[in-house]
Amino acid sequence: MNLINAELFKLRTTAIWWIMGIVLLPLYAASVLANWAQFANTSPDDAAGTDQAEQVRAALEPINVATSLYTSGQFFGILIVLLLSAIIVTSEFFHLTATTTFLVTPKRESVILAKFGAAAIVGVFVWLLTTVLNMIVVPPIMSQLDLSTQLGEGAVWRAIGLNLLAFVLWAVLGVGLGVLIRNQLAATLILGIVYVIGTSVVGLIFYLLTQYVAHWFENLQVLVPTTASALMISGTELPGNPPRWVGAAVLIGYAIVAGVVGTLITKRRDIS
Amino acid sequence: MGAPASDDIVVDHLTKQYKKLRAVDDLSFSVRSGRVTGFLGPNGAGKTTTLRMLLGLVTPTAGNATFGGQKYTDLHDPIRQVGAVLEASSAHRGRSGRNHLRMICRAAGLPDSRADETLELVGLTPAAKRKFKGYSLGMKQRLGIAAAMLGNPKVLILDEPANGLDPEGIRWMRDLLKALAAEGRTVLVSSHLLGEMQLLADDVVIVAAGKLIRQGPVDEVLGSMGAAQVRVRTPQAAELTTALAAIDAKVSPQSDGSLLVSGAEAAAVGHAAFTASVELHELVSERGDLEQVFLQLTAGMAGIR
Ligand SMILES: Nc1ncnc2c1ncn2[C@@H]1O[C@H](COP(=O)(O)OP(=O)(O)O)[C@@H](O)[C@H]1O
Ligand SMILES: [Mg+2]
Repeated sequence: MNLINAELFKLRTTAIWWIMGIVLLPLYAASVLANWAQFANTSPDDAAGTDQAEQVRAALEPINVATSLYTSGQFFGILIVLLLSAIIVTSEFFHLTATTTFLVTPKRESVILAKFGAAAIVGVFVWLLTTVLNMIVVPPIMSQLDLSTQLGEGAVWRAIGLNLLAFVLWAVLGVGLGVLIRNQLAATLILGIVYVIGTSVVGLIFYLLTQYVAHWFENLQVLVPTTASALMISGTELPGNPPRWVGAAVLIGYAIVAGVVGTLITKRRDIS
Repeated sequence: MGAPASDDIVVDHLTKQYKKLRAVDDLSFSVRSGRVTGFLGPNGAGKTTTLRMLLGLVTPTAGNATFGGQKYTDLHDPIRQVGAVLEASSAHRGRSGRNHLRMICRAAGLPDSRADETLELVGLTPAAKRKFKGYSLGMKQRLGIAAAMLGNPKVLILDEPANGLDPEGIRWMRDLLKALAAEGRTVLVSSHLLGEMQLLADDVVIVAAGKLIRQGPVDEVLGSMGAAQVRVRTPQAAELTTALAAIDAKVSPQSDGSLLVSGAEAAAVGHAAFTASVELHELVSERGDLEQVFLQLTAGMAGIR
C-alpha cells in the first residue's frame, strides 16, 4: 500500500496529471457531441447491405443508443489512461529516478505491482470522471432524441461497469507496454499513434483480408485490443459480432501478458 | 584507532562483463565499520559499476557483495540501513526537492517530517519548495545526501560526491561526511581524485581497469606509494644541510629557496635543526607527488576502455 501511495504521489507532484486533464476535457466534449450527432442523423435506410442495415437498426435501438452515450469518452479517456500508465514507468527512466525507486524498494516486482495498482486507480478515476459527466449531460441528450433516459435498464449499468473494466485493463496494459518501450518519447508516440490511427489501419487490413483472402479473418479482428474493448462494452449483442466476453477475454489476455513480461524484464534489467 | 574490526561491506570476487568489456574484474575488498573508506580509481575504473552491483541495481556476472553478510536486495527496509548517493541528477525535473524526499518517505513508510529534517541537515530548507530543475549542481548533491539520510542509515555510499562542486562545496561535503562518520557510521565514497581522499578517508581501496590495485589505511597505502618528505625554510641552509647529513637525511634545494628533505620525519628534522642552533622559518611534512605515484600505479589502465 505504501508503494501504491508513493506512485500516486509521484503522479500528483508533477505537471503531467493536469496536462492530461486539459487534453482530455475537450476530447471528451467532442466525443459526446459526435455521438449525439451520429444518433441524431442516422437512420437504418442509409445503410447499404442487409447485414449492415441490420447492424445499424440494432445500434439505433434506444438501449444501444443509451449504452453508447453513457460510455462517451471511452475512446479518448482510455487513450489518456494508456499514456499516463506508460509514463508512470517511462518517466522513471527518463528522469533517472529508477535508481532512487529501486534503492528504496530493491524487490522490483513490488515496484511494478505498485505501478499496476496506481495505474488501475488512475483508470478508475478517469472512468469516474467521464461517467459522472455522462450522467449529467446524457439525459438531456436522450430527451432531445425523444428517448427516455434508459437509466432503469440493467444493460446500461452493465455497459458502464464494463467500461470501468476496460479502463482498468488498458491501464494495466499501459504499464506493461511502458516497460517494453522504455523510452518516454517513443512510448507516448507509438502508443498514441497506434491507438488512434492503428485501429482504422488494422480495420482496413482486416477488411481487405476478409474480402480478398478468407472470410474467417473477420473473426480475428477481435484480437485488436481497441476492437476488443469496443466489443466488450457494446450494450447488447450486435448481429455479426463475436460475443461480448470474447472481447473481455482478449483484453485480459493482453493485460496479463504485458504485466508478466514487463515484470520479468524489469527484474532482469541493469539500472545504470 | 579503536575501530571495531568488523566489516560492514564485503565485496567478494565481483565481476561484471559487458559485451566486450570487463568493467569489474574479480574485485574483492572490504569496508570496515565506523570509518571513511575512499574508493579510488581513474575514470572508467569500474567504481560506479561496483557500487551499483553492491546496491542491487546491476546484476554481477560473478561474485557477490554483501552488507553484514546480506545482499542489498535481501535487506529488510534497506534505506534504514544503507543510504546511497549515486547520480546528482536523479530526481524528476518538475518536482520540488521536498516532494522528491516525501515520495521516498511514502515508499519507505517513513514520516513526511523526515524530509524536512534531512533538508535542514544539508542546508536546503530555503530551496525546499523549488523545483529540481532550478537546483544548482551543488544543491542536487545536497538533495542526494538528504535522500540518503532519510532512513538514518548506519552505512553511507556516495559515488563521486565532489564532482561539480566548488571548493567551498567540497569542504562542506568533507566536513559533513567526517561528522557522519564520527557518529559511528560507515562511509564508502568513490573518487578519481587522490588529493580529496587524503583529506577525508581513513582507508582507501584503489582500483584500475576493474581490478584491485591496493587496499588499506590511507597512510599505509600512501606511505608505500611515495616516501615522506619534509619541506623546510631557513636562512642557514648550509648549516642545516650539514646537520641533516649527520642523521642520513638527503637534502635537495628547491628553486623557491626552500629545502626538500627526504629520509627523515619532520620531528627528526626539527630536532636536528634545534641541536645545531639553526633558525627555521617553515617546517612541513609533504608527500612527494602522490598524484604522480597514483597515476604510475594505475598507468596504462586508465583512460577510455
Ligand atoms: N551499461 C554499460 N554497458 C557497457 N559498458 C559499460 C556500461 N556501464 C559502464 N560501462 C563501461 O564500464 C567501464 C567502467 O565504468 P564505470 O563503472 O562507470 O567506471 P568509473 O565509475 O570508475 O568511472 C567503463 O569503461 C564504461 O564505459
Ligand atoms: Mg563513475
